Amino acid sequence: MRIVVDILIAAGFFFALAGAKGVIQMPDAFCRMQASTCITTLGTLGVILGGALYAFFVMGSVGTGVKILLIGVLILTINPIGAHAIARGAYHSGVRPDREMEIDDYGRDFDE
Amino acid sequence: MPKSKLPAFVSTFCLCYLIWVLLTWRFTAQELIAGAFVSAAVAFTTSSFFIHESAFWLLRPQRFLALAAYFPVFLSELVKANLDVAGRCFGGCRDVNPGIVKVPVGLKSDYGQAMLANSITLTPGTITLDIAEQAGQTWYYIHWIDVKETDREKAGERIKGRLEKGIGRIWE
Repeated sequence: MRIVVDILIAAGFFFALAGAKGVIQMPDAFCRMQASTCITTLGTLGVILGGALYAFFVMGSVGTGVKILLIGVLILTINPIGAHAIARGAYHSGVRPDREMEIDDYGRDFDE
Repeated sequence: MPKSKLPAFVSTFCLCYLIWVLLTWRFTAQELIAGAFVSAAVAFTTSSFFIHESAFWLLRPQRFLALAAYFPVFLSELVKANLDVAGRCFGGCRDVNPGIVKVPVGLKSDYGQAMLANSITLTPGTITLDIAEQAGQTWYYIHWIDVKETDREKAGERIKGRLEKGIGRIWE
């Protein structure tokens, strides 16, 4: 069981590292947000699942495990609302990528 | 409180109380009674914002099963998209082709649309920017990190095909 826990937490770290690298190096604001969802989904979910399994089977404390799982559920429900609001706010306040986008239906419908 | 608000109140109360019990995880009378009072206060003030459609939708077994069946579908999409975006990040971040596509959505229920939009945003590589309704058809504006299709139907199928089918089964 310790091995499963370690693998899950290591996978979480891997995705968090990938997301952090993306946030720094991606070319424009929206692509940076895309990289940051990598951190909040599998990055935190891996660590949370690993932590919950650790609490259930190694520590033997059901209450702690349930709390950790509840944190995961809350992140899954609340995080996309924030991501959506930030991306939409950025677009409406005039943030545009340096390079021309492949297709921009949103700008075509609302910038007129 | 009007009588029609009662189911909304009860379902919100049940959700709040469940979260309270899970968070405290101590089954003494003191905790349970305090939780009941707090949940009742929260449900009284927020149930009218929280519940718009039928209040006890989860109690129908086929919906519960559909929700349970949706979870592995969503998880597999999540892992696939995560590996894709992580690969792009480690590949020097030059391998992106971003754009905003407008895709049609077939779901009618408000909850279903919100859940689909949130699922799309949670999947790395796609963020829902806005929802628009034009002539009875709902559209999502989705920022896509690697535009493979510019045709609306095909792009929609590619981004949310499996997710939309799973959610449609829950909220039909």
